[in-house]
Parts: sequence; C-alpha cells; structure tokens
Amino acid sequence: MEFDWSVIHDNFTYLLWGRLADGEPGGVLLTLIMAASAGVLALLFGVLMAALAWRFGGWTRKILFIWASFIRGIPLIFVIFWLYFLLPVVFGGSIPGPMTVILALAWFTSAAVMHSTLAGLEALPRGQTEAGIASGMSDGKVLLFVLLPQAWPNLLPSYLGLLISLVKDTSLAFIVNVPELTTVAGQVNNRVQIYPAEIFLLVGLMYYLLCASLAYLAGKSIKRRQGLRT
Amino acid sequence: MQQDTLSTAATSAVFSHSSAGKTAAVEFRQVSKSFGPHEVIRNVDLRVDSGEVVAVCGPSGSGKSTLIRLINQLESVSSGEIYIDNQPTRNLKGAALRQLRTHIGFVFQQFNLYAHLTAEDNVSLALIKVHGWNKTQAREKARALLTRVGLGDKAQHYPEQLSGGQQQRVAIARALVTDPGIILFDEPTSALDPEMIGEVLLVMQELAKSGITMIVVTHEMSFAREIADRVIFMDGGEILEQAQPEDFFLRPQHPRAQRFLQKVLFPLHPQSGVAL
Amino acid sequence: MNWHPDWAGVLTGQPLQWIISGFLTTLYVSIVGSLLATLLTVLLLALRMSSSRLARGAVAAFVSVFRNTPLLVQLLFWYFAAYGALPQSWRFYIGDNHPWATFPGNIAWLTPEFLCAAWGLALFTAAFLVEEVQAGLNSVPKGQTEAAISQGFSRKTLLLSILLPQALINAWQPITGQYLNLMKLSSLATGIGFSELTYQVSQIESYNAHAFEGFAVGTLLYLALGLILGWLMTAFGPKRPQHRPQVVLKEETRDGV
Repeated sequence: MEFDWSVIHDNFTYLLWGRLADGEPGGVLLTLIMAASAGVLALLFGVLMAALAWRFGGWTRKILFIWASFIRGIPLIFVIFWLYFLLPVVFGGSIPGPMTVILALAWFTSAAVMHSTLAGLEALPRGQTEAGIASGMSDGKVLLFVLLPQAWPNLLPSYLGLLISLVKDTSLAFIVNVPELTTVAGQVNNRVQIYPAEIFLLVGLMYYLLCASLAYLAGKSIKRRQGLRT
Repeated sequence: MQQDTLSTAATSAVFSHSSAGKTAAVEFRQVSKSFGPHEVIRNVDLRVDSGEVVAVCGPSGSGKSTLIRLINQLESVSSGEIYIDNQPTRNLKGAALRQLRTHIGFVFQQFNLYAHLTAEDNVSLALIKVHGWNKTQAREKARALLTRVGLGDKAQHYPEQLSGGQQQRVAIARALVTDPGIILFDEPTSALDPEMIGEVLLVMQELAKSGITMIVVTHEMSFAREIADRVIFMDGGEILEQAQPEDFFLRPQHPRAQRFLQKVLFPLHPQSGVAL
Repeated sequence: MNWHPDWAGVLTGQPLQWIISGFLTTLYVSIVGSLLATLLTVLLLALRMSSSRLARGAVAAFVSVFRNTPLLVQLLFWYFAAYGALPQSWRFYIGDNHPWATFPGNIAWLTPEFLCAAWGLALFTAAFLVEEVQAGLNSVPKGQTEAAISQGFSRKTLLLSILLPQALINAWQPITGQYLNLMKLSSLATGIGFSELTYQVSQIESYNAHAFEGFAVGTLLYLALGLILGWLMTAFGPKRPQHRPQVVLKEETRDGV
C-alpha cells in the first residue's frame, strides 16, 4: 500500500487553521478554541454545582446527581442536536455553529467536572471542614480557603483528563458541519477522495500529539504531588 | 554450580515428602540483608530447633520482621544461607520455592485475608488451588481448623464481618491448613484492639503446645514470658541476646536489652531507677 | 406560540419504522462491539502480564494511541482508509446482499458500515477497559499478594483466584460505565453513514421536519437503553459481599524494615 503525502502538503494550512484569512477560524485552531472555551465554562458550572451539592447535601445533591446522569445518559451528539434547535428559539436568532458546539460540550462536561470536584472534596479528611467551621468561617470561606486549595493537587489530573476528552469531543462538530479539524479533514477527503489513509492518519496524529501532551502533563502533576509527600 | 543443582533437587525432594506434618528446624548462617545501601540484617547466626517456640523482640527498625520474612523468601538474603531441615534454600526458584512455602505458615500483622472469600474459603483456597484437593474435603478440613481456633460458627462470614481478633484467628487457621512444619508470626497482635489480643494469644499458646516450630516477632511480652521457649533480642540488625524467658526478663545482660525492657515494661520510668 | 408537539408524526408509519430499525441497530452493534471489546481486553491483559517487554510495549502503545485520538476519527479511518485495504474479493462479498446475515428485525450485519462501526467501537473501548481492570488490580491490598505467595501460590493462580475476582468487583462500576459509553458512542457511526438510531432520527427531521419530537423520542430511547443495560450489568455482575459496618483496623505499626 503506497502512501502519497502530497495531499497533506497541499492542504496542511487548511487543516491547521481553516479559513482564518476569511475570518472563519477552522482546523486545529478552531479545535483549540472550542476545547478551551468549553473547558472554562464546564469548569465554572461544574465547580458551582459541586459547591451546591457539597453545601446543601440532601435533595439538592440528589437532584444535581439526577441532572448529571440525565446529561451523561444521552450521546453527546444528541446534546449538540438539542442545542442546535433549542438555542435559536431561546435567543431568538441563529447562533454561530461553533458557539452551539461549545455550549453543548460545556454542558455535557460540567456533569463530569461536578463529579470529579465532589470526589476531590470528599476525599479530604472531615476534620478539615470541622476545623474551619470551629474557627468561625462561613461555608463559602471554608470551601474557598481550606478545601479547594487542598483538593486542587488531586483535582488537577482529573481536570486534565476531562480536557483531553473535550479535545476529542470537539470532533463531533463534524456532525453539524462546524469546520474544526475532523470536519475539515472530511472535507478534504471528500474533495480529494483517493488519499483517506494519509489524511486520517495525519489527523489522528495531530489529535494524538495534543492529547498525549495533556496526558503527560497530568502524569507529571501526579508525580510532583507524590514527590512532595515523602 | 553442580552442587547447587544437586542441593536444589535434594531440597525439593525433602519438601515434597508426603508427611507434611513433620516439624522442621531453621538455621541462619552468616545471613546479611541490605535494602540498597541500608544494611538491615548483619551477619546473623541463629538456630531454631524442630518444635521450638522462639519470640523475637527489639526496637523499631531492628530488622526483626525482615528476619522472618527471609525464611519464606518474601525477601531474599543478600549473603549467607538459610537452612531448613539442614537443606539450603537460597537458590530455590519456581516450583521448588513454592513447594518450600507450602511447608511454612506465615501470619501477618494486617491479617491479609482474601477479602472476596468467606472464612472457610480463605482457609481452603490453597488446598484446592495449590494442592489440588477436592472441594468437599478441603472445606471439611477448613471447618475443622476454624473450629480449632474457636470460629466454627463463623465459617460463612466474610472478613469485613469479623472483628480484628477473629480475622487474625482465621489467618492462623489458613496458615495451618497445609500442615506446615514451621509457622512464622509477624507482630500478630500489633494491629488489634487490646481486648482482642487475648483470644489470639490463646490460640498461639495451644499451637505452641502442639509441637510445631514457631518463630514469633512480637511486642507482646506476655507471649514471650509465658509461651516461648527462648527469647531473642535484636537491635541494629544483630542478635544481641538470647536467653530463656525467665533469665531474659529478670536479668537481661546486654545494655541495650536492658534499656529496651526498661522502656517497654515501665514506660513512665524510661531511665532505670526502678529495678527490673 | 401555536406550535404543539405532533407525536403521531414520528410514532406512526415510516418514521416509526425508522425509529425501530435504528434502535435495534444501535442495540445489535452495541452487543457485538461489546463482545469484541471484551475479547480484546482479555488478550491485551494477557499480553501485559507477559514477561516479554515487546508485548508489554505493544499494549502500552495500543492503549496510548486509541485513548488519545477521537473515536470519530478512528471510525473515519477504518471506514474510508482501512476498509479499502481489505482484499477486493472480501469487499465485494460483503457488499453483496446476504439475507442470512441479518439479526432479528431485519438488521443486516455483514455490511461495511456495521463491521467498521463494531470494530472501531471495540478497539476504542478495549483501550479504556484495560486501564479500568488494571486500576481494579492495583486497588487490591498488596498484603493479600504476600499472603498468597506465602502459601505457595503461583503468579497465575494468584491472579486468577485472588486478584482478578476482587479487581472486577472493585472496578465493576467504571467497567459498566465503559460498556454504556460504547452504546452511546455508537451514535458517532452516523458519521460513516451507519443507520443506527441517531442517523434515523436525523432522517425523520429531513422527512417531515419533526425535529423536536424525533429528538425527544431518540433521547428517551437512549436513556432507557442505558438504564436497562446498566441495571443488567449491576444485577448480573460481581458484587461485594453484603456486610455489616466495616471493621476498622488500627494504624499499622510496622517494626523492622
């Protein structure tokens, strides 16, 4: 089986940043933009939900958990489709494709962020919370100044893992024709037709480099934490 | 090299002997053990006779746990040789080593029961999986042993349903199921709440009377005093004193042994000023 | 707002046929994919336990590649690139109509789309399952390994009788999660034209613009399938023994080294 890499050469910049010159970022650039934006939003929402579940417990926590299972119980594609049709109704106008995908990804991932954050908080010794409360701190302050700083080293690897999933999940924008890396690769493949292996292997490699570097960072952050322990 | 092969063959022959209940003697000759640069056991010579009950005590870091872990090769010696029934064991590997281990029982500080199995299955597992016994007979023997340690009615309980003392007694039954000639204890009562220590010590006392060779690393001075034939005091990887319990507790010879006993028996009076 | 949901528009006639067909397709490809994934996982674990560095390295490479690339890209690769590399006679054979090669409900499985979807899903999921089982193995207290070695267990018996049963119990929840993921990720095969549930729901949207109703039904079906499969795996999977409150061990006071 012969590989002809000229197709890569001809389309490389398109794969990297799409039609940036026309004001439409695409390819790897758009992948990164979407992953980062969705990540920030997911982090905000997820930590907020975790804080609520931690603070109020009982029914609040149950409802949040049911909400999280609902979100994660349907395929991400469906979440994208739902938002694709619902958001224009809610906002009364059409929403740019990338925005829809970012919101869908953020919504979907926030459930996982909530679970990871809660797990990290609950892994801390109960005594930490008790000590904070005993010295007169409000719950919010205990969370902000006592618990989250201590949970952070444990949470970082989980968050990086979720970021890796986010980067991979941006590929679903393929289904709604938002021109991130996978969509753009599909377009090139449709146009050129005869070099699918080269195109998809390269695209796979690009994702691999992105994700594996994040995984490496996560591994290092775990090791650093263990090193500090002893 | 020829000698080694011969001795290996001889040793496995000894340990595949069908009379598994034969008690064995253990001998250390110039044994040393290092973990990296850290020498934990230093030129130890020791003989434990068949049927003898020996207590090993000493401060933290003295190497006493490592000493018995060398016998069943949970750790391997750095130099020297350990003889079991006058057969060298250092070069045993693979199936021969596993054979050796079936003739040595080991009881851990943390019990280490198999969490997914009932007490009965914990005790019978090795018979079934390692010795090929059929399940019914293995279970019968397991139940008999559990009864012997006072837990006949707990055979179907899981470890997490048992107290620490009960778990340790199951662990002892498990160690006995293959009729070993030697049984080793690594601080068997250190992880137990005080009121449960007695039930384990009673089982160990009964075991001591049965004639099996026992080596017990322990802080429990009552065991050393009342059950052991001999007490060995270790510090810094060396055996500093060996004596009969009476002599050791009333008239320790080595200064470090004296200091150790002072701290252990009279914790509120660490400086000698109170006569032992 | 004068709009009302028109359920009849999706729950009768052609749309209903599509929904049923899509649902069954999703079900079958999930089952086949799961079986393949399980076999692969066992193979990978066996390789990982071997003494050959090459074997262990191969498993590490496999896991790394398949976990760090998007499933969609993998599916596109299998369908557009790898499938074309199969011998032509095979491809012609698969491309033909084979009435015998159908699952109940008239779902054909000897098609490029089904095979690539099942294969792609299996490889992707196996890479994750291997790590879950490994995590389960790592969570068994090391003391039990020492106890077993002290009793003369071989490494193989130790693994099969003591470590693996407990690993599966400990990791059963995340393992179940991976299989459920496989089911949900089957929706990505839409991208290679595989007519599973998501594809059929989009069909309905093109057919009579009943997007809301179509997606609602699809959502409910995925949720239901997930709940049922999850329940089945919990009911028939290894369980922790029922217990009273746990015994608390004192802190280990380890003497010697």
